[in-house]
Amino acid sequence: MQRQLFEYHPVLGYRFIPGLKARVPHEAGGYLVQVNNQGFRCQRDFALKKSPGTFRVLLFGDSFSAGDGVSNRQRYGDLLETLLPNTEVFNFALPGTGTDQQYLAFKEFAQDVECDVIVAAVLVENIRRNTARYRPFADENGKQVYFPKPFFVRSTSGELELEGVPVAKAPLTEAELGQALKSADQGGRLPVLRKAINRFGPRAKQLAQRLTGYQPVPGYNRADDPDWLLMRSILALWSSACHAPFLVFPIPLYQHVEGTASAEPYRRRFRELERETRISLCDPFEHLDALPASDKRRLRFESDVHPTPFAHEQLARALAPALSQLRQSPSQGSTT
Amino acid sequence: MTRYVLGVSALYHDSAATLVGDGEIIAAAQEERFSRKRHDPSLPRNAINYCLEEAFIENNELGAVAFYDNPWLTFDRALSSVLSVGSRGKEQWLAAAPSLLGAKLRVKQRLHALLQCEVPVLFTQHHLAHAASAYFPSPFADAAVLTMDGVGEWATTSLGMGTTDAEGRTRLELLREVRYPDSLGLLYSAMTQYCGFKVNSGEYKLMGLAPYGTPRYATTIKQNLIELLADGSFRLNTEYFGFLDEHSMTNERFAALFGGPARRAESRITRREMDLAASIQAVLEEAVLGLARSAHATTGAKRLCLAGGVALNCVANGRLLREGPFAEIWIQPAAGDAGGALGAALLCSFERFDARRKLTPGRDAQKGSYLGPAYGSAQVKAFIERHELPSERVEDLTERSRRIAGAIADGKIVGFFAGRMEFGPRALGARSILGDPRSAATQSQMNLKIKFRESFRPFAPAVLREHCADLFELDADSPYMLLVAPVRAELRLPKRDSAFEQGDDDLLSVVREARSTIPAVTHVDYSARIQTVDSVGHPAFRALIEAFFTQTGCPVLVNTSFNVRGEPIVCTPQDAYRCFMRTEIELLVLEDYLLWKDQQPKQTDDESWRDEFELD
Repeated sequence: MQRQLFEYHPVLGYRFIPGLKARVPHEAGGYLVQVNNQGFRCQRDFALKKSPGTFRVLLFGDSFSAGDGVSNRQRYGDLLETLLPNTEVFNFALPGTGTDQQYLAFKEFAQDVECDVIVAAVLVENIRRNTARYRPFADENGKQVYFPKPFFVRSTSGELELEGVPVAKAPLTEAELGQALKSADQGGRLPVLRKAINRFGPRAKQLAQRLTGYQPVPGYNRADDPDWLLMRSILALWSSACHAPFLVFPIPLYQHVEGTASAEPYRRRFRELERETRISLCDPFEHLDALPASDKRRLRFESDVHPTPFAHEQLARALAPALSQLRQSPSQGSTT
Repeated sequence: MTRYVLGVSALYHDSAATLVGDGEIIAAAQEERFSRKRHDPSLPRNAINYCLEEAFIENNELGAVAFYDNPWLTFDRALSSVLSVGSRGKEQWLAAAPSLLGAKLRVKQRLHALLQCEVPVLFTQHHLAHAASAYFPSPFADAAVLTMDGVGEWATTSLGMGTTDAEGRTRLELLREVRYPDSLGLLYSAMTQYCGFKVNSGEYKLMGLAPYGTPRYATTIKQNLIELLADGSFRLNTEYFGFLDEHSMTNERFAALFGGPARRAESRITRREMDLAASIQAVLEEAVLGLARSAHATTGAKRLCLAGGVALNCVANGRLLREGPFAEIWIQPAAGDAGGALGAALLCSFERFDARRKLTPGRDAQKGSYLGPAYGSAQVKAFIERHELPSERVEDLTERSRRIAGAIADGKIVGFFAGRMEFGPRALGARSILGDPRSAATQSQMNLKIKFRESFRPFAPAVLREHCADLFELDADSPYMLLVAPVRAELRLPKRDSAFEQGDDDLLSVVREARSTIPAVTHVDYSARIQTVDSVGHPAFRALIEAFFTQTGCPVLVNTSFNVRGEPIVCTPQDAYRCFMRTEIELLVLEDYLLWKDQQPKQTDDESWRDEFELD
């Protein structure tokens, strides 16, 4: 049985157990998880005031940014501190969350933290999590249960209303969810088919996806898709709550990088967002797409789709220039 | 930079992993605690994960992995044994071959695959690893080392000598050995099996059963099964044993010698088993004393270190201390194969990486054997909140101890979960079930309603070190519950004329009889398996016994492992809570949280959970 990593949180649903130090077994040999006293996987505690001359980045995201599969110091957020002198990255990323929960993490824990830029690292799949009321997790006995999550409902006029808070503590089984199972995120589209194909191994899965032109995140296909409108509204709301530059960093799925699915729909949506709002965009896709095919496969583990240490290096390299530019721009120094 | 060595024992029984950094023990744990499979023999992936977690190091920071034996020598012994008995050994060979030819010979590759790095994997020898586990953590600069177990590669018993110079440079060498099939461990295990208990776990029961019997078979055993030689060594008469050419430890000749077939597991224990237990125990003690005398004569050392499964026989250890030639003895608390992981790592650290040994006068380097994982208050809080369990947090240690002690004094049985888990088979206050030793009912209540185990099995006293000699005929440290000594004569009560004394086999009549003023920890022969508790090892446990002493005048608690029969000792708060809810434990202490049984939500479990753990 593995060490419990998360504790209940009434607004986010959960966060890391404050002060935790753990090692998680993994196909790559295992990785070290260090959690600060605020309950986030960050080497340092979150001080409200920053030191003079320090460039402070607040980073939000899910497991790709929290670093599932790699130790703290191997994550792109931590690598940025090496690439950019006098930079400190406060990592607020929380595995398994949607953009909605990441925004709530900002509201709960980061709004008063002095900073130079806020980075919302949106794994493009988060668009689906935002619409979910429940997310599946394995309990301590390895059984799949569904934990409730907070969520936003977008009215026809575009306003967001937060629901599901305080988040209920008790997880539900599939049977207990009943009809509500439809509002649970199943970790991707076509769960039954996916499960069946997964039995034949990753190559069969990739082949099937290629042959069927599988689009893992169809919510980006149209500008008026309700899922995209919800994502867009959350990011807009978040941006409006920030007193520092707000940078969106959309992280592609491996299907996009490896060419199984087209990245164009989601990239187009985020470009529109940048054009039409005050939100800044740093799209790492071109950087990743420029890698040789053999290196692209090195971006994820053999089975686990999370970024490898090599992928984290690439993400850091892709993000660093945008942060440097922000640092040098006249607006640098914006604080809370 | 610290040079870390990961020690591993695996693929026989009781897999374990340990981590040593520059000769200092950092972490150690048995795989069974994580996998929840008793005596789990598999590659200890969870224990390895824990060890690296405790040091918080990456895999590539390891200087080496040290494996506790030499698989090629084990293979050689197994093959030679089979060849010696010809076609009669075919079945046994077929059963052992997959492990010997497969998993064990591919240990290096499997460790590399698990760790995903090419760290050097070193192999030691089984008894050298045991010897290292006994000598290096001991408080002695120079000491004789005696290891005794079933078998490891070829050796079953070995005698060595360890020395440390003023600069901390060490030397550990084995001087003599007794080879397979002559084995004290195998002899004791054979009798364990014959008496209806499981090999590699029931030996402790046999030892506990011995005081109920008389050693009327001792001469038979010495005349037929084992020859004790003048130089301390011994020979087994393999004609009576099945471990060479059968699946059983004993054969028909063995049964004929003791008047019939072996006792069936779980059937009623009769006088015969009690007398056999007493007899084999007496012979074992004589053999151990003989070995010790020989070790003393050979080495001239004043101190002795012990390891190997036979060193868990605390009755023999107690006699060795009282009657043996050594002024002091130190026993590795994880004396079985799990401890081999520790020995292998220490050996590598001191002898390969040239770590310097730091001796602290009067204090060993085993850290109280609290070498396993801790789950602090924050983790407990997370567990309690997630499951919405009624609980009360009492942060102040003094107040918490006062309240727990009060509950125990009121006759409540308490599950106590605090700090780092113990390494080794004994619970020493970190994962313990505690009770009031003054009550005669405690022993049978704890055995039958809490542990679901045989009623005759005794419980151990955890006593404040400074009061040990007031209650027991022992004035020495016994922090690892590895010494048995008599309860002081003035505290004993005269034996009543129980049904058992009149010839009835029913053990309960004598178990329920008060034998002293601390009846729950006084065995039928007035002995007790003592744990002395000082102020250094485990402050929360010490504070609890002190509080009990303040309230009752009794400086002792009943201490037994936090598990039910067949279950590995609990590791996590989840394990502890599950065990709490399935037994009649009334109060659960999870670090600084108190959980009362009568406040907990009803358990939806049915009785089927009892099938979860195979009976030991």
